[in-house]
Amino acid sequence: MTADTGNGTDVASESKMPASPLITVENVCKSFGSVQVLEDVSTHFNAGEVAVIIGASGSGKSTLLRTLNRLERHDSGRIVVDGIEVDDDHRHLDALRAEVGMVFQQFNLFPHLSVLDNVMLAPRRVRKLARPQAEARARELLERVGLAAHAHKYPFALSGGQQQRVAIARSLAMQPRVMLFDEPTSALDPEMVKEVLDVMKQLAQAGMTMIVVTHEMGFAREVGDRILFFDRGRIAQDAAPEIFFGAQQDERVRAFIGQVARA
Amino acid sequence: MSMATARFTPWPRGWSRERRSTATMASAVVLMLVVLWGLARALAFAPEPIGSNAQAFADGARVTVELTVVSGLAGVVLGILAGLGKIARVPPLRWLAEFYVWVIRGTPLLIQVFFAYFALPALLPFVKLEEFGWGCVALALNVGAYNAEAIRSGLLAVPKGQVEAARSLGMNRWYTFIDVTLPQAFKIALPPLVNNIVALLKDSSLVSTIGLVELTGAADLLRSKTYLPIPSFVTSASIYLLLTTVLTHFSGAVERRFDIEDKLG
Repeated sequence: MTADTGNGTDVASESKMPASPLITVENVCKSFGSVQVLEDVSTHFNAGEVAVIIGASGSGKSTLLRTLNRLERHDSGRIVVDGIEVDDDHRHLDALRAEVGMVFQQFNLFPHLSVLDNVMLAPRRVRKLARPQAEARARELLERVGLAAHAHKYPFALSGGQQQRVAIARSLAMQPRVMLFDEPTSALDPEMVKEVLDVMKQLAQAGMTMIVVTHEMGFAREVGDRILFFDRGRIAQDAAPEIFFGAQQDERVRAFIGQVARA
Repeated sequence: MSMATARFTPWPRGWSRERRSTATMASAVVLMLVVLWGLARALAFAPEPIGSNAQAFADGARVTVELTVVSGLAGVVLGILAGLGKIARVPPLRWLAEFYVWVIRGTPLLIQVFFAYFALPALLPFVKLEEFGWGCVALALNVGAYNAEAIRSGLLAVPKGQVEAARSLGMNRWYTFIDVTLPQAFKIALPPLVNNIVALLKDSSLVSTIGLVELTGAADLLRSKTYLPIPSFVTSASIYLLLTTVLTHFSGAVERRFDIEDKLG
C-alpha cells in the first residue's frame, strides 16, 4: 500500500522502539449485567504494529476491540487513541471513529447501496470529499482488494469473501490510523478465508496498525507482531508469536491452540 | 400492492431496474394528469345525467387527488416523526408519540374530521383554513398514526450492525439515520405504507361531510338533484377505482426501485 492510505508506513520500522503508543488502555473494566467481561485490562498498541488477539469465545477479546471505538462503553479505566480520550463527548467520538477503521464478522455492508457507494459514503459525509475525489479513491481501493470489476454491484450479489473485502476497502477509504478486525473470517466459507487474509496481510506489510481478533492461528503466527491471549476477561499472555506458539509453558494456552488447530 | 402491475413491464429489456422504475413512476404521474384533465371530456359522452355533469365529477376527482397527495405527504412525514418518537429513548417523546397513535387509531375517522372542522378552529383561532385545509389536517393526522406503526417496525427491523458500521466510519447520528437507517426502514415499511395511502384515497370521501365537494360529495349532490342514485354512485365508484389503480401502479414502481435484490421479478 502506498503512502496515502498506509498511514504509519514510515513509522512501521520504528515501531519496535519504545515510541509513544498509538493506543493506551489503562485498567479497563466492563460488565454486562453481573458478568464481568473485562477485568482490569491494561496494554498499549504502537503505530505500525499488528497485534493479534486470541482466546475462547466469551473471554472478552471482541469486547475490548469494541471499547476502542466506543461501540461498547467501558465502566472504568481509561482509553486514549491517538491522543483522543475515548469518552462520551460526541466531538471526541466522531473524531475518534474517523481515525479508527473497523471490520466486522458479519461485514455489515449497506445493502441498499452499490459497492462503490458503500466505499464512498463516509468519505463524502465525514471528510466532505467531493464526489469525483471520493469516487477516485474508492475505485483505487476496490482495485487494491481485487474488486474493481464489481463496483456497480450490490452487496447481495457478492460472495462473503468479496463482501468482506469491500468492507475493508470501505474502512480504508477513511484513511484510518488504525484498523480493528473483529473475527473478519469467522462468517466465511473456508474457501473464502484466504482471499480476505491475503488482503489483510498486504495491509500489514504496508505498515498499517492493526488489531485483529481471530481464530486463524496461521495468520497470527505469520503476520502478528504480538499475540495477546485473553482468558476470562484478562490478558493472560502477551508475547511475540515465535514465543507464544513455540515455547509455550501454559497448559491452558496449549490446550486452546490445540483445539483451534483441530477445528 | 404490486399484484396488478408485477408482470407488466412495457419497458425495453435492456433498461436497468432504476430506469424502469422511474419510467413507470413518470408514466403513472402522467396517466394521473391525463385522467384528471381528460375526465370531463370523456364523461361528457356519457348518457344523462352524467354527461351534463361531467365537469362536476372531474372537479371532484381533482379535489380527491389533491386531498390524497397533500395529506399523504404530510402523513408520511408525521409517520416518520411519530415512528421515531415511539422508539425514542427520551420518555416524554415516547409518551407523546404513543398518545397520538393511541387516540387516532382508537377513534373514528369521521369524528376526527368533524373535530378538525368544527372544534379545531375554536381551539386554534390563529389558524385560518378553509374546508380543504381542515380536511387535510384530519386526514394527515389519521394516516400519520397508521404510518407511524409501519415506520416503527421498519426502523426496528434494520440490523444493529448497520448503525455500528456507519458510526464506526465516523458518520454522525444524522447521516447515519438519513443515509443508512431510514432508506432500509422505508423499504421494509413500504408495503404497509402503500396500503395506508390507498386507504387514504378512499377514506378521503369522509371529508364530504364537512361540505367539501370532492368525488363523493359531487356524486351525492347529483343524486339529490336528480334522484338518480345508481348512475351517480356507479360513476364516482368507477373513478375511485381508476384512481386507486393508477396509485397502485405508481407505488408498485416505488417498491421496485427499492427492490435491489430483484425479489419482485
